[in-house]
Parts: sequence; C-alpha cells; structure tokens
Amino acid sequence: MIFGYLDAGSGSLILQAILGGLAGIAVAFKAWKARMMGKRAIAQAEKEAVSDETSVNSES
Amino acid sequence: MISADPGSFRDPASHVVFDGERVLRLLDDRGLEAWQQLESSTFFSNAVESGRLISTTQIDDVPDGAVGALQHPRIPFVSYPYEWTFSMLKDAALLQLDLLAEALAAGITIKDATPFNIQFVEGNPVFIDIGSFEKYRDGEPWIGYRQFTRQFLFPLMLRAWADLPFQPWLRGDMEGPTAGDMKQILSGGKRLKPSALMHVSLQARIEERMSGASVRSDLKDAGFSADLILANVRKLRSLIESMTWDHGVEGWSEYQSCDHVGRDRETKAEFLRGALARSNPKRVIDLGANDGYFSVIAAEGGSLAIAVDGYEPVLEELYRTGHGENIAIVVSELTNPSPAQGWAGQERPALMDRAKPDHVIAYGVIHHLIYTASIPPVTVLDWLRSFDAPTTLEFVSPDDEMVAKLTANKLELELHPGRSEADFRVLLDRNFSIRQEHALEGGTRVIFDLVPN
Repeated sequence: MIFGYLDAGSGSLILQAILGGLAGIAVAFKAWKARMMGKRAIAQAEKEAVSDETSVNSES
Repeated sequence: MISADPGSFRDPASHVVFDGERVLRLLDDRGLEAWQQLESSTFFSNAVESGRLISTTQIDDVPDGAVGALQHPRIPFVSYPYEWTFSMLKDAALLQLDLLAEALAAGITIKDATPFNIQFVEGNPVFIDIGSFEKYRDGEPWIGYRQFTRQFLFPLMLRAWADLPFQPWLRGDMEGPTAGDMKQILSGGKRLKPSALMHVSLQARIEERMSGASVRSDLKDAGFSADLILANVRKLRSLIESMTWDHGVEGWSEYQSCDHVGRDRETKAEFLRGALARSNPKRVIDLGANDGYFSVIAAEGGSLAIAVDGYEPVLEELYRTGHGENIAIVVSELTNPSPAQGWAGQERPALMDRAKPDHVIAYGVIHHLIYTASIPPVTVLDWLRSFDAPTTLEFVSPDDEMVAKLTANKLELELHPGRSEADFRVLLDRNFSIRQEHALEGGTRVIFDLVPN
C-alpha cells in the first residue's frame, strides 16, 4: 500500500470509483457489498461470542 | 549551514532544506526509491524538458541524516494560491491533473494534490514537489482526490459558479472549502449540475456517512484500477477547462479614462526607467500595480517585478494577456498583506518577508492609503522606508481630482495631518534623500526618485 501522510477521506475514496464511470460504479458497489458483508460477519461473531459467554455464565 | 524550509515537513519521506543558495531535497529510503523510479521514466524527462516539472539533479554530498539528496534551482519568488488570480489557479489545476495522468501511464502516482506544490516561474505554473511522486501500486485509489477538490476544484467553483473570490477563503483556511461548505454556498441551479452533484453533494453525503472507515483494501479487492483514476482525471480536466470567470475590468477601464492616467503615463514610465537604471535592481515590488504597466517596464529592464494589487480583475488581465514573464503576480491588499501563517506561524511566510525588493515602485498608490484607508502619511512613509530600498513614489496633493473623489464624504477633521506637499516633503526628508523629482503636468502630482537615508 501507499504510505499516505494525507487523510484521503474514506467517502472520497469510494466516490472516486463512482466517478470513474460504469466500471467504477461496479467496483464501488462490490467494495460496499464486501464492506456490508464484513460488518455482518463481525456482528454475527460478536453475537455468538455474547451468547457463548451467557451460556458459560449460566452454567457456572 | 543547512536550514530547514519551514513549509516542508509533512512528508516523512522527503523534505526541503536550504544550504546557502542551494535548495536541497533530502530523502529517506522510501523517498530515494521513489526518486530512482521517477528519474528513470520518460515521463520525468519530458515533464522537466517542457518546463512543467522543476529540474532536479541527484547530488553526491548527502547531508547527515539523509539517505539521498537532490538539488533544485531556487524559485525566484514564492507565491501562494491565496495570492493567485482565477486563471492562475485554473492553470495550476490543469497542470496537476495532466502530470497525474502522465505519471500513471508510467506506473507512478502523485500522493497529494495541493497548489502549494506549484509555483509560477516566468509566468507559467511549475510543479516543484518531486517528493510527491511515488510508485503506483495496483488497486490503490487516488489519495489526493479529496485534497484536489478542496484546494483546486472548489475554489475555482467559488469564482466560476458563485462569483466569489477564493483568495480570502484559502487565506483563512489553507485546506480549502469542504464539500459540505460548497453545498451550502452553491445556489440551487448550480448545485444540480451533474458535476456538482457528484463532487459536491455526493462527496459531502458519502464523507459524512463513511467518516473513519478503512476502505482502501475493500476497493483493491473489488478491482479498483488506475483506469478509474484516469477516467476521473479526464472528466475533472474537462470540467475545469469549461470553468470561466468574466472578470470584467470596468473599474479599471474607468480608471484608465481618468485625465491624469493617460496624460502622465509616459512621463512616469520614462522617469521610472531612469530611476531603475540608477538602482539597477534584481527585484522590484510594484505596490498597487494595477494593470502592471510599470511592472512590465521593470521586467523589461531585466528585473523580476512583483506586481501586488488587491483588485483581482486587473491582475487576471495581466496574467491572461501573457505579460507574466519575469513578473510575479500577487493578489493582496496593501493594507492587509498576506501574513505569516500555517504551522507555528512559519509554514507560509508573510508576503513582505518573501518580497525582499531592492527597488520599490509606489506610483498612484499612497493617496489611496492616506485617504481611503486612513493611514497617516507619516506611517505610510515609515512603511515605505522599511523596505530599505530605492523608491519611486508619486505624491498626490489634496487638490487632486482623484483625492477630491476619495474624500467626497470625509470631513477635514477626519483626515490625518501631513497631506500637503510642504508637510509631506518634511516627512519625506526624514526617511529618504531625493535623487530626482518631476512635477507632473496637472500640477497636483509630483514623482520622486528616492534613496533611503
């Protein structure tokens, strides 16, 4: 990766994919989708961790 | 003795220092690697040859603490975007985009996008920050896009689409307006232009929603490529090309039609040529330069003329008509010249500290300071004396037609003493010796060739 000393702005980075035209919109959508799925996976993992903890606590 | 450039510290890979008259760029490992790739590209040699990129040579005597060192020629006069006219910023923006497009084709990117990396040399924009170039890595977006919009695109929009000067904004906030600011400023019609919808409205919204999110690897994994940057750059280029500003110089045309201007112009020009021949200056500052008529005379005599005026339209005309060679154009009010600012108050030195003239032209200006800005004559002369340089000055007496206009709504008791020719001469004698003087035809103005006491 580039070692940027500049704050590029997350939204502005996504936006420039969109500004790249149709191919870019597809890239932006894919990146957004991956991001959403990633978030969902994290949320799911957190949920499972909480439920594990609860069951451990109730067993003890 | 090496001293750091107070404006070059943000990039850890590369920074500028001064070694006497030499301008050096010191590099760390990463900076050196980037330089080696840049130097070996035809992009670099073409850009330097065409005068768009500062010439650069690697030197062997690397100062302690650096891994590599480059030498650049000294920029004759450094100016800042908040001192430029509309077309100057526009040309600088186009240069930034062109260099990025050409660099990408060579597998190199520009990691930032600020007009502070561009200087005007002999009237043309030149990119000076060699440290901004580095290897383009597949899948990386253009890191400088947001900065480009804030420091180039939005200021140009301010002028072209809202007829607002961008200089006060950039001077007050060197980072430039945000997309959110622009959304507030642009009127409904302008905000609905497709380019405004994308660069302004959408950017404002998406920035608000995604603040702090890490998206670079997501974009890379999704197939982001340099082609997308190039497509964006092409569209930005044509957008900026299409931006115009009708700078209308009505005020100036009116001024030119004043009796004293046409009548005295050649006499003042001839007098100035004589004064310049006597002082043989390298750098001349033309205070209240207006259309730059006298700056051009100084430049023709071989001096670098720094043309300073607070009225952008006349300097815009000077730039557009191509009189910029050997003339540095500065939009700045004399009553409030660009101060030292930025980090530690030192990053961007004050205009008058950068100017360092060895001759001062003060034609047609001091009556505006005395009568319009209410600066006492004694203070005006102290200020002129502070340049410590030969000075060509035009004195305008209280009986002059222009002074009558300027004081139409002022009472005598609201004016400072020292305005009459006799009083003014007393003040003049305290600061300067008169080498020559000449009474202009109308009988209310005298021009002086002065040397400081």
